[in-house]
Amino acid sequence: MSKSTGQAASTVGIPKKSSFSRIIPYVLLAPVFIYYAVFWLLPVVSGVKEVFTDLNGDFTLVGNFKLMAESDLFNEAVMNTAAFAVISVILQYLLALVLAVLLSRKFKGAKLLMFVAMIPMAITPTATAILWKTGLVRDGWINTLLLQFHLISEPLVFMNAEGFKAVLMVILIDTWTVTPSVMIILIAGLQGLQREMKEAAYTFGANKWQIFKDIVLPILKPSITTSIIMRLIAAIQVWAIAVMVMGYSKTPFLVERIAFYVDVVPGVDTSTKLAFTYSFLTTIVVLLATVVYLKVSHKGVQKGGEQA
Amino acid sequence: MSYLEIRNLQKKYTKNGPMIVNNMNLSIEKGEFIVFLGPSGCGKTTTIRMISGLEEVTGGDICIEGESILAKKPKERGVSMIFQSYAIWPHMTVFDNIAYPLKLQNVPREEIRRRVETAAAATDIQGLLKRYPAQMSGGQRQRVAVSRAIVVEPKLFLMDEPLSNLDAKLRVSMRTELKNIHNKLGATSIFVTHDQAEAMSLADRIVVMYKGNIEQIGTPMEVYQDSATRFVAEFIGTPPTNFFMTSIERTEEGVQAVGDGFCYQVPVGLTDTLLPYAGRKIEMGVRPEYIEISPGLDRTEGYLTDVDIRFVEPQGSHSILIAKVGATEIKIHTTKYMDIAAGSRVSLNVKEGRVMFFDCDTGKRVK
Repeated sequence: MSKSTGQAASTVGIPKKSSFSRIIPYVLLAPVFIYYAVFWLLPVVSGVKEVFTDLNGDFTLVGNFKLMAESDLFNEAVMNTAAFAVISVILQYLLALVLAVLLSRKFKGAKLLMFVAMIPMAITPTATAILWKTGLVRDGWINTLLLQFHLISEPLVFMNAEGFKAVLMVILIDTWTVTPSVMIILIAGLQGLQREMKEAAYTFGANKWQIFKDIVLPILKPSITTSIIMRLIAAIQVWAIAVMVMGYSKTPFLVERIAFYVDVVPGVDTSTKLAFTYSFLTTIVVLLATVVYLKVSHKGVQKGGEQA
Repeated sequence: MSYLEIRNLQKKYTKNGPMIVNNMNLSIEKGEFIVFLGPSGCGKTTTIRMISGLEEVTGGDICIEGESILAKKPKERGVSMIFQSYAIWPHMTVFDNIAYPLKLQNVPREEIRRRVETAAAATDIQGLLKRYPAQMSGGQRQRVAVSRAIVVEPKLFLMDEPLSNLDAKLRVSMRTELKNIHNKLGATSIFVTHDQAEAMSLADRIVVMYKGNIEQIGTPMEVYQDSATRFVAEFIGTPPTNFFMTSIERTEEGVQAVGDGFCYQVPVGLTDTLLPYAGRKIEMGVRPEYIEISPGLDRTEGYLTDVDIRFVEPQGSHSILIAKVGATEIKIHTTKYMDIAAGSRVSLNVKEGRVMFFDCDTGKRVK
């Protein structure tokens, strides 16, 4: 009944709007649409067009993908990106979780430690790269330190690392840089957890591990999901640190290849095609990874709910 | 031997810090509803947390059924706690919230189901078992917390200000319901609050605490009508007891308490007790409803003085009158002269047998 009276009020009580007032919202929103059309949609469309046309401008469904698959270091780029994404996300995530749990406890010096732990966040990727590069060279600060404390007798050679070892090095540097940002998200999640929720579980007989597993972790789940997606996307798009510390082509990644074709060999005809195709592939991978992760983690929630 | 015995219980958080709970002694019988009442920082929550096992004990002992529980973990103590913030877990359904304590005890599935349903029925939330806490109101969440506390069939219910997050109306109906559940289960409960109305309406006995000490243990009527200390007389009752600084003087007509702007004839029953205070200061207290006013300026045995009524605050069922005796502002609770006009001159007479005297140094009642 209330519905019908509501409708009556809207047709009887309010005078019919003029056609002008009806388009006002669209007029007001138009600048945003235009902005997106010009600066986002247009480049995306032209990029996609590049991916599906050959050098002569004729349509080709898989031609450029074939070109990419046969190009130098394609397999390495795919494998390295996959390895990087999996290892770095797991490593950074576990490290951040431990740090977050430790630092959200109240103890003397917790604030100072938190401050120190967040320093890497404030350093730009370029500076990070320089910091580590100066450390990793033969007479860099890492070798100097190790020699000083007599942990090694001969300087270690880091920069000659190749293949997986080189990727591992990039992973470690990346971990140093981004762990704090994951940690912050988790600490924010932990702060949303009331102390009494843990205490309640404790009084009902849960031990420390059960409290963590049954109470803390599930309540943290939304922040965990957010931080993992963010890290996953960033990990798939890794390139700056790899290039700045190791140089081009030493640790090939998907996005590193894009930069390579745009930056290093821009003159070659196929470079543009390859760069666009790599971009397209990376976008698809990021989308897929996100969708799959969301599906999996959502299923976990539902299952947990049903089980109990 | 009482059901719960607290002996010389002490708590300090730091070695040289203040005593948060100072040599507390208390015996509770099975089936009692005990309320710890006091202002924040009086040690009431700390005490309940020591009983639950969430807080270490600095000294003394706590026994349930004659057995010390200090060395036991919370779950072995047979207590269950209801928290101020409800502390129900947001990622679990109502069913799971109530079932979790039983799962921790490895109770068989079928029994869990049966016991959860019984506990949910006791608080009238059978229909909400599949919901998540975010889909419920504050009152419903508190019912979940109560069900969860019931389901483990504890020896002792500990409630830490469980109603203070609810709105005023719900608080009143929920407290009746808590008392009802307590009675139905035949439970033994300790309830912590700073709200004296809540304490009065729930408790079999109230433990009034202040600065880590027990000021008085007694039924709601006892602590109100027969307050043991100045603090209790002031803390319990709205408006609080009126206090007058007086000095005890011996005159030809007997013993008098002489204050700023009045001279009160001490009742015969109290003269012997007050004589040792002759020539010294002593504080006199009278509850607002025991000061009777007489617009006809009649004087009785308990005559204080004549005053002008300064303000009248009608409350519907009664009125609060505000006046000044000397420099002291006093409040009078009247149901007889609710329509009296501000500015009226009246006589004040203390109702027979309703005067209280408190030692100025110790704050203790002199009687």
